[in-house]
Amino acid sequence: MKRIKRFTPAQRLFHLILMLSFVFQSVSGLARMYVGTEWGLFLANLFGGFQEALILHKWVGLFMLAGFGVHLLYILIKIDWRRFPKSVYGPDSLLPRLEDASQALQHAKWMVGMSEWPRFDRWGYWEKFDYWAVSWGICVLGGTGLLLYLPVYSSLYIPGWVLNIVLWVHRIEAILAMAHVFIIHLFIGHLRRHNFPMDLVMFEGSVDLEKVRHERPDWVDRLEKEGKLQEATVDNSPVSFRIACYIFGFVMIGGCLYLLVNGLSNARELFG
Amino acid sequence: MKKFWAMIYRDAQKTNRRFLICLIGAILFAIHGIVYTAPAFAQKEVTSSSYRQQERERRSRIYEKYEYKRYTHQPFVQRKTPRTELITLAPTAEKVRFRKYMADSHWGLRFYKYRTCIRCHPKQARNLHRVRAKITCRQCHGEEPIAGNSHYNSSMQPRRRYILVCAKCHEGSSPSFATYMIHEPIPIAKTTQKAFPLLFYCVWAMVAIAVGTFAAFLPHTFLWGLREFLPDSILAGFKDFLFKKRKQDEKD
Repeated sequence: MKRIKRFTPAQRLFHLILMLSFVFQSVSGLARMYVGTEWGLFLANLFGGFQEALILHKWVGLFMLAGFGVHLLYILIKIDWRRFPKSVYGPDSLLPRLEDASQALQHAKWMVGMSEWPRFDRWGYWEKFDYWAVSWGICVLGGTGLLLYLPVYSSLYIPGWVLNIVLWVHRIEAILAMAHVFIIHLFIGHLRRHNFPMDLVMFEGSVDLEKVRHERPDWVDRLEKEGKLQEATVDNSPVSFRIACYIFGFVMIGGCLYLLVNGLSNARELFG
Repeated sequence: MKKFWAMIYRDAQKTNRRFLICLIGAILFAIHGIVYTAPAFAQKEVTSSSYRQQERERRSRIYEKYEYKRYTHQPFVQRKTPRTELITLAPTAEKVRFRKYMADSHWGLRFYKYRTCIRCHPKQARNLHRVRAKITCRQCHGEEPIAGNSHYNSSMQPRRRYILVCAKCHEGSSPSFATYMIHEPIPIAKTTQKAFPLLFYCVWAMVAIAVGTFAAFLPHTFLWGLREFLPDSILAGFKDFLFKKRKQDEKD
């Protein structure tokens, strides 16, 4: 069974760090958000109290911002500056292209049986959306989080009442991010039929060639045409590694679904 | 006066004798209501006016300096407030329009001693200081008498709030910091558009972004999952059905 390389170790490491820190921020943030409920109390007790949850939330937030900075540096290093404007418009780039809109339309038609499966290249439009949504989310959540990090200090530069607005923006953006990841990202990534029960591509870094030929035919055709297919082919990862990935992945998905279900079931307390 | 009665008598003669009887009955009923019923249920309250006078002297720490106007008003003054319940006010307290300028902003409220803050200010109870940090009203607003926020000597006066109140916990707070709205309005409420417009528009913009994202991606995800789950034959049949029907329509 041939496999094709999809993510580099650095990209997988970025995803792993982002995933762990995002789930940590979700748990500590939800503990603060659901402060009036039994569940909020339980989550806060995991960190040793509401105050401790806030302190850790702030530290991990700074860590995420630092990670975002490192990711920006990584992009700057990885860009092919010799062929600069052209190199970032190619099909390997995550920048949105005109084809994405037409592919999204064709994909929607496919869902109701009106069209064939679109010929996706390396990145689908939903994956590009996810990538840019994370960047937007980190900018909004990180920016508002920095203002709320030391409110006494930040109010020297902005009026204090702006913190009211900033706190609400932080809260709504966090709800949006969590709901998007827990419902949409997890479902498309792992729970739909073709990926069920789990897609290990983000952990292993490689994906089955036949599956890719079916899902992303343009990418495989392009690699074959350029003669890079052999170069991109890799071996299977060891079984023990895959088992470890499965266990880790199931724990993470279970944890995210637990947060989603409890967040929704306690939502009434939030407004009451 | 004679002319008045003569006019009524003439009218009654002209129109109907029953009118006169009804008028006299109504006047007698009104007199009965004013003279008999009202003092009867307010008697206990009237006797407590001296108690209130003593209370006022104790609060102001000025004893027997002023003579107070004798109690000549209606004993029960009920004023409807925007809150959930009626608050009974003393007759002179009724004249107060702007309580935020008073040294004792709750002056004249009946049964004030026996109420909790939240009973009359339920909306103010929903704030992060109380919910998250379990701070009580008194920790910021102080002991009795609680001065109105705009009273010169109040610790809540905007010009010294950041020193006397905020800095108790937030070390180094500034006048700008003190403008943070503890009792913020509900951001999506229509009334907030006037009270705190920037909060209103920012929160609605964020809500619009969130709703837009889910409006696009929830059906997208659901349909995708359904399409992969259903066998192709069902959708092929659906497609045939659609196109056959369209062809038939064209023929017709």
